[in-house]
Amino acid sequence: MRSSSDFSAQTLAVLAALHNEPSQWRHGYALARQTGLKSGTLYPILIRLADRGLVEACWQDEPVPGRPRRHLYRLTAGGAAAATEALAAAERPVAAASPARQSGLRAQGARGVAAPGAS
Amino acid sequence: MSRLSRWVVRLVPDGRRDWAEALWAEADQLPPGLARLAWRASGVRFIVREARVLRLAAQALVFAVAAAWIVHVAWPGPAGNPATAVNQLNVVTLLPVLAVLPLLARWLAGPAAPGWPGRVLRYGAYAAVLALTLAKASVEPVADNPAATPLLNSDASSPVKDGMIFTWLTQSLFLLIVAVYVAAILALTARRLRVAPATLVVGAGAGLVLGVVLYAVFPLGFTNNSTNPRLPGYAIALLITLAWMLLFGGPALASSIAARRYRGQDSPERISRLRIRQAAAAGFLATAVGALMVAALGTATVALLPRSAWLLHQLYPGEHLSAAAAYYRELTASVRIGHYGLILLFFPVIGLLMGSWAGAATNHGLTPGNGRPQLPPGRTPFPGPPADVQSPDL
Repeated sequence: MRSSSDFSAQTLAVLAALHNEPSQWRHGYALARQTGLKSGTLYPILIRLADRGLVEACWQDEPVPGRPRRHLYRLTAGGAAAATEALAAAERPVAAASPARQSGLRAQGARGVAAPGAS
Repeated sequence: MSRLSRWVVRLVPDGRRDWAEALWAEADQLPPGLARLAWRASGVRFIVREARVLRLAAQALVFAVAAAWIVHVAWPGPAGNPATAVNQLNVVTLLPVLAVLPLLARWLAGPAAPGWPGRVLRYGAYAAVLALTLAKASVEPVADNPAATPLLNSDASSPVKDGMIFTWLTQSLFLLIVAVYVAAILALTARRLRVAPATLVVGAGAGLVLGVVLYAVFPLGFTNNSTNPRLPGYAIALLITLAWMLLFGGPALASSIAARRYRGQDSPERISRLRIRQAAAAGFLATAVGALMVAALGTATVALLPRSAWLLHQLYPGEHLSAAAAYYRELTASVRIGHYGLILLFFPVIGLLMGSWAGAATNHGLTPGNGRPQLPPGRTPFPGPPADVQSPDL
């Protein structure tokens, strides 16, 4: 499994957003609003997470009439474990982290991403 | 979703298309206005990257420039020279065929397989075929010039002497051969045939070695003897022996390696079939790449001969050729390049046969599933370490 230092600040933000309610299916717009990421950044991150088996995706069963079906996302069991570990590592004192991690954490902090369970 | 967006999303490869559709569909959930526009603008960046639109556009642009250059060289010419009509035929048939074949291959054999070997092979094949067509368009007017026919000796027969029917037949055959080469390479590098990247590397690698040796022996067209004026006799004999060994041994060796290296997760019967397919593909490439390489390089050399004093000096060092002598050699070489067609026609057939044979032989010696050699009857495998002994970390 990848260590938390392998995740970029943006990926950590997406993991944190999904980890807030791990069992809930989330759609792209909600994730984009919560993380502040643009669609062109958010979707490649979701693709990479899905490729690694950390996120599962499906199409909405019953779309709203007159609107296209939406794609929904949530963490897999492995993804939840990886997110817990990565976010816990991100919470540790910055002095113990590598320089790359420190810059990642600063970026995450600037975006105001909530740690799991903080909301 | 608008028709345009649906078309753009269709450019995205299969495994990613769902994601592009999802991104585009999500835009309808946003409030109309700037937010939705920004979502779509950022999404377009994602779709362009995933659809490799820029790469497709660059490929189309490079092909268009090369095609325009070929038209510029091939189309004009004196009405009395049969080469003018031949070149014009090449332009109106071969260039559209080369443009359409990737689409046809995608439809019939699936999209291009991932990985650099397939991509390099496709680009290389197109570069070689376009260079060959361009060089041939430049050489044909010299070879087919009716005024030059009396200058040619008997063993360098000119198509002009043999009549227009022969000329059209050979040209049609040339077009067919080139189209088959390109179609075969596109198919071998497509997903549906499941030719492994290692197979492409091994086969094309053997083909490159064969091509280098062939070019060293026949840089100025193909005849019974070497056309390289620089090589001493013993070097020619050595290289010709090496070329024969590579022609028959290269595909056999490449096929055997490709079959042995193949690993799959299918049933044993399917793996056996796929191993033989790898072997046939490697055998074909081991000769086809060499044939295409020597035809393109040799024809380009002959095309450059009248234009480059440096090249003439390199090929005939120490000789002070008169203008008439240089023209005669250019003319003879121009006629000989047509004989590269024999290499293009027969070498891949030899490679395919040798590859299939070597693949079947190799596959026979491998167990159906794991790819390890079968032990002779009565022999037991070498015992592994006991379960409680840990191997040292390497």
